[in-house]
Amino acid sequence: MIQFLQQLTNGLSIGSVYALMAVGYSLVYSIMNFSNFAHGGVIMLGAYFGFFGLTAFHLPFAAAFLLATVGTALVAIIVERVAYKPLRDRKAPFLYFIISAMGASMFLENFVIATIGPNPKPYPPIIPREPIAIGQLALGRLDLIMFLVSAGCLALLVLFIERTRLGKAIQASAYNMKASALMGINTDSVVILVFALGGFLAGVAGVFYGMKYMVYPTIGNITLKSFIAAVFGGLGSLPGAVLGSVLLGVIETLVSGYLSSQYRDLIAFVILIGVLIVRPSGIMGKTIEDKA
Amino acid sequence: MDNYTLGILMLAGINLVAVLGLSLLTGFTGLFSFGHAGFMAIGAYVGAFLTVSPARDIPGLGLPLVVGILGGGAAAGLVSWLVGRITLNLKGDYFCIATLGFGEATRLVFNNVQRFGGSRGWPLGATRDMGDIWIILAVDVVAILLVANLVRSRHGRNMIAIREEELASQVTGIDVFRYKMVSLVISAVLAGAAGVLLGNYLTFINPKIFNLTKSTELIIIVIFGGLGSISGSVLGALLLTALPEVLRFFEIWRLVFYGAAVILIMISRPQGLLGGMELTPSGIRKILAERRARLALRTEAAREASEGGAR
Amino acid sequence: MSGILEVRGLTKRFGGLAAVDNVSFSVREGGISGLIGPNGAGKTTIFNLITGVYKVTEGSVLFAGSEITDMEPFRIADRGITRTFQNIRLFKNLSVYENVLTACHMSAKYSIPEALFRLPRFVREEKALRAKAEDLLAIMGLTERRDVQANNLPYGLQRRLEIVRALALDPKLLLLDEPAAGMNPDETEQLMHLIAGIRERFKLTVLVIEHHMDLVMRLCESIVVLNFGQKLAEGTADEIRGDPRVVEAYLGSGGN
Repeated sequence: MIQFLQQLTNGLSIGSVYALMAVGYSLVYSIMNFSNFAHGGVIMLGAYFGFFGLTAFHLPFAAAFLLATVGTALVAIIVERVAYKPLRDRKAPFLYFIISAMGASMFLENFVIATIGPNPKPYPPIIPREPIAIGQLALGRLDLIMFLVSAGCLALLVLFIERTRLGKAIQASAYNMKASALMGINTDSVVILVFALGGFLAGVAGVFYGMKYMVYPTIGNITLKSFIAAVFGGLGSLPGAVLGSVLLGVIETLVSGYLSSQYRDLIAFVILIGVLIVRPSGIMGKTIEDKA
Repeated sequence: MDNYTLGILMLAGINLVAVLGLSLLTGFTGLFSFGHAGFMAIGAYVGAFLTVSPARDIPGLGLPLVVGILGGGAAAGLVSWLVGRITLNLKGDYFCIATLGFGEATRLVFNNVQRFGGSRGWPLGATRDMGDIWIILAVDVVAILLVANLVRSRHGRNMIAIREEELASQVTGIDVFRYKMVSLVISAVLAGAAGVLLGNYLTFINPKIFNLTKSTELIIIVIFGGLGSISGSVLGALLLTALPEVLRFFEIWRLVFYGAAVILIMISRPQGLLGGMELTPSGIRKILAERRARLALRTEAAREASEGGAR
Repeated sequence: MSGILEVRGLTKRFGGLAAVDNVSFSVREGGISGLIGPNGAGKTTIFNLITGVYKVTEGSVLFAGSEITDMEPFRIADRGITRTFQNIRLFKNLSVYENVLTACHMSAKYSIPEALFRLPRFVREEKALRAKAEDLLAIMGLTERRDVQANNLPYGLQRRLEIVRALALDPKLLLLDEPAAGMNPDETEQLMHLIAGIRERFKLTVLVIEHHMDLVMRLCESIVVLNFGQKLAEGTADEIRGDPRVVEAYLGSGGN
């Protein structure tokens, strides 16, 4: 039983990081109706920004964290301006966006490989290693922090979207871009805001991922799992993205713990296949019909 | 011709087979696959199993290469049919994510199949036979003919229509699901065949060869050559296979430039080199006819405008 | 009386909203009928339901006596119902000729292997397809423009091309969704003659959604009026013109 709870907490903590990634991706998806495949590159940069903040600039953790997240928010905005806005202006077909996103992802990843180098680097140990003991459970401190900060960020995001004017503008645009523009909402600003938020969350996810594992240029590949989590929970639904991510994290960890770690990465694909066959709209998704 | 140049030509020819398939799927039908290296992998491993001599450490059935090519292609095609059944009914994003997942999953699966060498790989044969260039060229010619014939028929036109306007295609009587599936399967068969040829050329296969980078390189060739152009794919495959060899010192920055180039192409010249055009007599005639007609339209509109003003 | 198209109790709900609510009408074979109503009345939704683009929530659609409710759009097109769209949906990057040639595909039966290996059946049928496409272009006055890219055509010709594309499938029922949108009176007049001419020449039934009251009143023998997703009235042009409910729906109460 203790084994199970232990795995559960591990799963929850990695799930919360997946949730940050998935929510950032879903946010952009709900507004722009396309999958931002460059999201992974931004997450990877977050890990590196945090790393350099700590090692090269010797910043205190909070400052490095801020540097990373603001940095990624900026990168996300730049990617949007350079790779997507020109296409939006020209009403380019969906295919072009995906291709451009792929180009951006390739650029970011290989830029880091070419400049910084492909070798993984470990984060300096900020969080003490000894776990906190609660009864017979050993909770890793980092895991606890990851979970709490992620949950906190998501809660803030929800408050922002539900309670503020800008948040409502985002909701309106997600529902119908054109109508929102006609209502006087500056949809271009909304797009920038959404990418900034997504980028911010990506930064948090990147730093945590780097701290838990290591920093390397292909961290972006992990976003495949967050895409799967978003599909699992329901593409376009933010609560769905969180639910799917947490479930994925837990299932993954349980499989890895009880079966074999070799199957850990495969389980995500099994879930994907299952979702697409049984219920493509995901747990909380809605089916949308094309308006003719 | 020295072996070095010949080798580049062979690699370009191998890439071309996979690129032609992908061109049909993405360039003509408008479906974006992130995981075509996965189909190459399936082809490569099945092909290896069929053709590797039984005497080797990791043995195969020792059948002729042609059998390997057909078998590898068929296996990839079969798997693609399964993938298509699950994903082609859904929105475009699902297909992208699914192919991305498929490519990665295939790599992971082969990493774990120790019978075929797992992550260490599978040495296939002693020496490379440069005479295989003729086999590669033959497959190229067959592939080009098949894709060209398909595209210039009502079936190919239906695929193009799906790319242009899926909804309008449906009400124009086109069975969109079926045509997407045909396009996917053919593209997978070609990718599988390319995988067999690649293994044969390298005399060695391991899962790392068929990773996400390989998938994206194939897509980049299709985009660079031009969506919806067979001659574009041929040119693209030649140029982009030869280029990295020529600029060897450039190696680590190559993909950085590819990434930037893709974005640049999409925002400034999305048709790439020859998008929508062909370097054939009929293709050139078509371009000239379009230009002539457009000019006629413009002069007529100008004439009407000036007449209208005079009135 | 049953017509070539029978719509019975058709209802479509999106979430809580009924875009179409229990609408029934029938379209006489060989006639030109109109479907009118203020914006948002559910007209295009009805087209989408008839052509299988949307699945019905309730109700049924019968064509030539058989049930076609919820069939796949391409099968419905095969049965003989084709349409145009409110926002033109041409194959933009293809030429005028290619747009029509593509749409002619159902007139040929050759299989994919026959195309791949250029077998005699392919050669024969492909030639016939190309001849048919050229024919259609000639009949509809687009031969001169055959090589122009569809999105370079002037607006009026784009609308005409979309109609030609719909005709290429040899339909028995042609659904036109606001074909006169954005046209000036001259062009609208031309369009009217075009539609009447098509009906004559191709012996088909036409159902038109339109806002140009002029065109509707002069062209349509039978008119169905929708408002807020429900059928308001059905009858001849004179009957509709004089119906106070219709006047009120369009102009608001107290208007004339």
